Amino acid sequence: MKLLLLMISLILSLNAFSEEKKKTLSEVLEGKKYYYSALNEFFKETYSRTIIKDDLKRLEDLLYFTGIELLEDYEPSLLQKYPTSSTRFILARQALQTKKYKKALELFDKIHPDHRYYPEGKLLEAQVYDQQGNPKKRLESYEACQASAEKNENAALSEKIKRYYRMVHEICLVNKARHFFKAEEYKESLEAYNKIPKKSYKWPYLLLEKAWVYYQMGDYNRALGLLTTYKSPLLDTYFFPEAEYLAALSYFRLCLYEDSLTIINQFYKVYRPRFQALDSVLRKNKNSQSYFYNLMFKPGEELKKHEEFVRHILTRMKKQTRFSLDFNAIFKINQEMKRIAQNEKPVIKQMLLPHLGEVKENMINKINYNAKTDIFQFLEGVPFLSSELFKLNLEIISRKKDLVYSNKKLIADRSRGDYSNVKRTKFEYFWTFQGAFWADELGDYSLGLKSNCQTVRQVTEEGE
Amino acid sequence: MRILIYVLGIYMMSDAWGDDQQVIYQYKKYEKFDLGNLEVKGQLIAPGDISVRERERRRFELDLFSRKNFDGFIKKDVESLR
Repeated sequence: MKLLLLMISLILSLNAFSEEKKKTLSEVLEGKKYYYSALNEFFKETYSRTIIKDDLKRLEDLLYFTGIELLEDYEPSLLQKYPTSSTRFILARQALQTKKYKKALELFDKIHPDHRYYPEGKLLEAQVYDQQGNPKKRLESYEACQASAEKNENAALSEKIKRYYRMVHEICLVNKARHFFKAEEYKESLEAYNKIPKKSYKWPYLLLEKAWVYYQMGDYNRALGLLTTYKSPLLDTYFFPEAEYLAALSYFRLCLYEDSLTIINQFYKVYRPRFQALDSVLRKNKNSQSYFYNLMFKPGEELKKHEEFVRHILTRMKKQTRFSLDFNAIFKINQEMKRIAQNEKPVIKQMLLPHLGEVKENMINKINYNAKTDIFQFLEGVPFLSSELFKLNLEIISRKKDLVYSNKKLIADRSRGDYSNVKRTKFEYFWTFQGAFWADELGDYSLGLKSNCQTVRQVTEEGE
Repeated sequence: MRILIYVLGIYMMSDAWGDDQQVIYQYKKYEKFDLGNLEVKGQLIAPGDISVRERERRRFELDLFSRKNFDGFIKKDVESLR
């Protein structure tokens, strides 16, 4: 009896809810700006019938408000029924992840050039060509990505959307620089890197990459200068073990063994214990569904000692577009849940809120998973670089031993910097470092150290 | 002919008889050498020209990591978007 009453009440409420009889429930929900609920209802209403052009337009409209993040949890067979550029983008992305490259290319090709995901589609298409070993096509995709992202950025009205397209544009440009680096075309690579403005979110990350380019060109002073930029207070959140390794390696190539050893010792004494402690704390929570999500907002008691260090890693993660999109989705779902709880009848609440709760939980799990993956990827890179630094240490000892055996010594015990050792192009100015970092000169530093690799015969006391 | 057969027979018998005899070898138990009195005939050459031909010491250089591509960085960047 109770069930019957509940059913009658639900039918009556739904009828009242969709006042105009012609409107479907998803349309009513959309009209009330309950976009996440409307999207779910839309799929329920349309899945078992033939899809018409209007359905596709409505889906695109709904996805404009919700974003496509939550579509990742949907079955590919369901999404295939809706041939829109958004669903094709998601399906192509899944095909790329599962290494179905041919299918991925077909789907990327069907994304409309005016669609908002076209630039990102081109970025991913370049990934497919990279996997297929087709550098020419890869470069073409990056260039198409850059051009379309720039066009979309100029047309966008919202600052957030502009920022998104700027990011896509910069990633494509940087990938082009990386493409040249891989092909050992270092000058072209530097040219592309130098097009990224210093204000860009990506810029601090690129210092390390540019330092590698200079290293491969044999300009160890410039590589060291770029890495020095990380010591500036403005960039203290950016700590990369690989930057420490590259600095030690560059000093080694200049035969400045003592400088190299100083970096190695500092890494072993200061950073490695810190990473190990952090790793042991985080590994305990590896299987938690929310620990890393909560960590994004407040480090727990256990991490208090490493608070500043963890905060630096988390700050970097929070600056990612992915985090902004996911967190924004959670915020919008919360808003929708609040409005439904405040304005709708209990039967409607009961119908809509559990689904929204699930969507929200999925998003939280996604952020948690991504944060966990990022942190562990970062920490797992440490033992590799630690072992490389150890090898470098052994190599320095071996070189020093050779000098002793051959009764030779390096030309100078400690080479001082000199302007004559600075390599620069006609577009690069030169000022001496006065002990302070200036924001406008960050990233343009070069050391002026002379290579110490020439050896001279050691003069013994007897010979004197 | 008969004589020849007898001679051969006697020879073979005497050979077989000889196998049974034990041969005892004896070595000197003690012998003294006076090295001071030993004289070597010939020309004496002082070993002043001993030399070892120098060869370069083989160096084993460790294979230090040097980045050749940023493939991992590209993947990470793409993942950072969504």
